[in-house]
Amino acid sequence: MGTILIVDDTLFMRTLLKNILFSGGHTIAGEAANGEEAVAKYKELKPDLVTMDVVMPKVNGIEALKTIKQLDPAARVVMCTAVGQEQMVKLAIKSGAKGYIVKPFQAPKVLEEIKNVLAS
Amino acid sequence: MKEVPVKIEHDGKWIVVKAAVGEDRITFPAPVNQEILFKSIFDLDERKSILIVSAKGNPEIVARIASVEKVLVILKRLFLAHCNAYRLMAYFMSPAIRGGVMIKNAQWEKGSIVVVKTGIWFVSAVKQVCVPLSDVAAIELTKRDVQGKQTDVVRIDHVESGDVVSSLILCPLSTLQVLANFLKDATKGMDMKGTELDALDQQVAMLVYSGMDSHAIENMLNIPHKQLDAIYDRIIKLGIAEVVTIRREVQLTTKGVRYISDATKTQTN
Repeated sequence: MGTILIVDDTLFMRTLLKNILFSGGHTIAGEAANGEEAVAKYKELKPDLVTMDVVMPKVNGIEALKTIKQLDPAARVVMCTAVGQEQMVKLAIKSGAKGYIVKPFQAPKVLEEIKNVLAS
Repeated sequence: MKEVPVKIEHDGKWIVVKAAVGEDRITFPAPVNQEILFKSIFDLDERKSILIVSAKGNPEIVARIASVEKVLVILKRLFLAHCNAYRLMAYFMSPAIRGGVMIKNAQWEKGSIVVVKTGIWFVSAVKQVCVPLSDVAAIELTKRDVQGKQTDVVRIDHVESGDVVSSLILCPLSTLQVLANFLKDATKGMDMKGTELDALDQQVAMLVYSGMDSHAIENMLNIPHKQLDAIYDRIIKLGIAEVVTIRREVQLTTKGVRYISDATKTQTN
C-alpha cells in the first residue's frame, strides 16, 4: 500500500481513480488538475506513486513527468491516457514512467499495475 | 497418413480412437466412421481443451475432439490452415492491453488471422488463440507507433473472463480495411451505432466498466438510488449491461430495535 498523487484534468477520472485506489487500500496523498499543479504537489507531498494523465492543459503529463524525474529520479509515475494515444508509451517510458494504463480501465488491473510499480 | 490418439464424442459418450490425419482430411474409424475434409470445415471453436469442429455435410458435421495438448496443437494448425475461412497473413499482438493496462513485453508475432463462423483465430508458430465473435466488444481501424512510425492497425477489443482485452493486427492498409469491414460485418449484431446515451448514462456505464458498484456510483456522481436505477433500466434495455446481483436495503422491525437495545445494554453493563 502507498500514498498516491492523482493527476488528471477531469474531476470524473480523478474521482474514479480515487475510488479504485482507496478500495485497494492505498492512501490518496492529493490531487492535481494539470502538470504544473502536479509538480508543485509532488514537491509538497512526496507521494510513493503518481498516476499522471498525459493530455492536460498548461503543462502536459509528459513534461510534468520529466520535471518530477529531475527532482526525484526514484519517483514512481504511472501514465494514464485514452485509447488511441498508446504511441505516447515509448516517450513516457523513455522519460522515466514506470507503468502505463489506458482509459477506460478496469479496477483490478489498475490495482495490479500499481502494486507492481510500488514493489519495483 | 498419420494416426493420432483422440477422444471423440459419439452418441453422447466419449470414446478413444486413433484418428487418421492426412493432407486434406481426418478420418475417425469405427464405431464413429466419419471423415472430415479440411476444406469443408467452416467453424472451429475451443472450449476447455475440447475442439469443436463444424463441417459441411448432409447432415452438417459437428465433431467434439479432445486429446493431449500436443495433438490438439497439430489438429488446430491443420484445420486452420486448410478450412473454409477468411484468412490473411499478418503481424499480431494478442493480448496488447488487458483491463486498460499495457502488457509489458508484448511483441508483434508473425502469423495469420483466420476468421471462421464464430471466431477469430490468431495463429503463429507458437500460438493459437481464439476470440469468439460473440465476445468482441469493438473493432477499430486505428494508428499505432510501430518502430517509431505511425502505422495503421486493426484493434479488436474482446471480453475474456470479465477482463477487456485488446489485440492488434498489422498488415498492408488495403487488407486492414477489408479485414475491419469483414469483422464489423461479422459482428454487426453488436453494433452500438444509433444507441444514444446521455452524458450521465455514459458516466454510469464507464463506472460499471471500471468495476464500481451501485453504492460507489451513487456517491461519485451524487445521484439518488432511484435515478441510478432508472439509468440501469435504460442501459439494460439497450443490452449494454446485465443484472448480476440484486441488493436489498432493509430497516429494523420493532423486534429488531428491541434486540439492538438489549445488545447495547449488555455491552455497556
